[in-house]
Amino acid sequence: MKFTLKIWRQESPKAKGKLETFNLTDVSEDMSFLEMLDMLNEQLVTEGKRVVEFDHDCREGICGQCSLVINGQAHGHNKHYTTCQTHMRSFKDGDTLFIEPFRAKPFPIIRDLKVDRSSLDKIIQAGGYISAFTGMAPEANTINIHHEVSESAFDSAACIGCGACVATCKNSSAALFMSAKVAHLAKLPQGQVERQERVIWMVNEHDEQGFGSCTHTGACAMVCPQEVQLIDIAHMNFEYNRAMAKTM
Amino acid sequence: MSSQRGLFKTSVMRKNVMAVTGLFIAFFLVIHLAGNLILIIPDSWFPIEFWGGVANQHDMYNAYSHFLVHFWPISIVAWLLYAAIIIHAFDALLITLRNRKANADDKYIKKDTSTSTWYSRNMGILGSIIGIFIVIHMGQFWLKYKVLGTEPDLYDLVVATFKQGWVIILYLIGIISLGFHLVHGVESAHRSLGVHQKPCIKVLKYIAMCFGIVMAVLYAIIPIIIYFK
Repeated sequence: MKFTLKIWRQESPKAKGKLETFNLTDVSEDMSFLEMLDMLNEQLVTEGKRVVEFDHDCREGICGQCSLVINGQAHGHNKHYTTCQTHMRSFKDGDTLFIEPFRAKPFPIIRDLKVDRSSLDKIIQAGGYISAFTGMAPEANTINIHHEVSESAFDSAACIGCGACVATCKNSSAALFMSAKVAHLAKLPQGQVERQERVIWMVNEHDEQGFGSCTHTGACAMVCPQEVQLIDIAHMNFEYNRAMAKTM
Repeated sequence: MSSQRGLFKTSVMRKNVMAVTGLFIAFFLVIHLAGNLILIIPDSWFPIEFWGGVANQHDMYNAYSHFLVHFWPISIVAWLLYAAIIIHAFDALLITLRNRKANADDKYIKKDTSTSTWYSRNMGILGSIIGIFIVIHMGQFWLKYKVLGTEPDLYDLVVATFKQGWVIILYLIGIISLGFHLVHGVESAHRSLGVHQKPCIKVLKYIAMCFGIVMAVLYAIIPIIIYFK
């Protein structure tokens, strides 16, 4: 397969970036998107040029490290896929691919396609934890949880923190990311100790980090690789208003 | 740990304010529509000796508007409504400015907007059109009838106004914008306030869709019918 790649190149966080065009031939349709970029980088190395830098780790869709906005869509055109799980066979031979980094003020570009997403970690640090007894592991069936509740909590817990929701949001809001954690812990008995404070701390930190507010366009849930539901944001709003009412 | 932000300064609280004021305005729209539907009810539909001898459209409409202006509890609701509109617009401006700041300086070069509806992304633009429309609309009727009192016969004023072609076009632009604004706004407002029960969320989408369409259609037919009558 043949592709024309238009890739965002940026030397440093403050430097001015621009698109650079590459022509890549003999791409196997079995390659993943990142393997295709590896192939490009091997060519750049042999030519003595600087490689295109991008984030990646597990390459099996579970770590949340890969990013990239491909042709205007976070993680590419396949709904609920990560970039690493996107294969070249899902594109047409001869396509032009625009490859850009996740864009948001709280995601400063480190270089090329690599972005610093530690602002998401700060939100989790602010309240995305529970209090638990230390010492011996408790007996597994000490706390009984209804099957439906545990399934629902797990759906929210599935968030891998990739930040595609922020990248695709017109307001660069991390509401879906934040609400996944708030909803996950609010649904479970283990999350009840900090239930009230958690949501207030996390929303404060979210705003502190410079993310925008949620307009419920639903674009975030459409690109989420883990299919975290938009309903979690409404759940978070409920938790926030409940906490506000209780603290007043 | 982050510092505690002011009560109405967090992103969630600001949206709560948008939701409460927005839903109040949406509720007003229902009442406003109900009253003004008198304008398209034919004379023959009014029962004889209806409401103390008033039995035609002209007298009925003027009696209704006289009641609105002179019944004091209505003025309290009216002031609440003016406040709601101003707060809704001002809060929207603050939220928009904050959201702009949250966006990266470099925009995406290749854009794909297939993941959301155009009207959900352009609530600010639709709201601005509605805002301009409200100013013109109030200048045409509220100002002349209620504030200045230069036009004592509101019915004649309404009919004369809606006989102008440009007014109809202006109203259609305003009303269609309102319809789309409501379709997204009514659903989003409930979500902002924390309605998250699965059955509620499922019907909410359709209720908001129906509400927006029904309001837009009924509001639009009033000036159109008067124009062609």
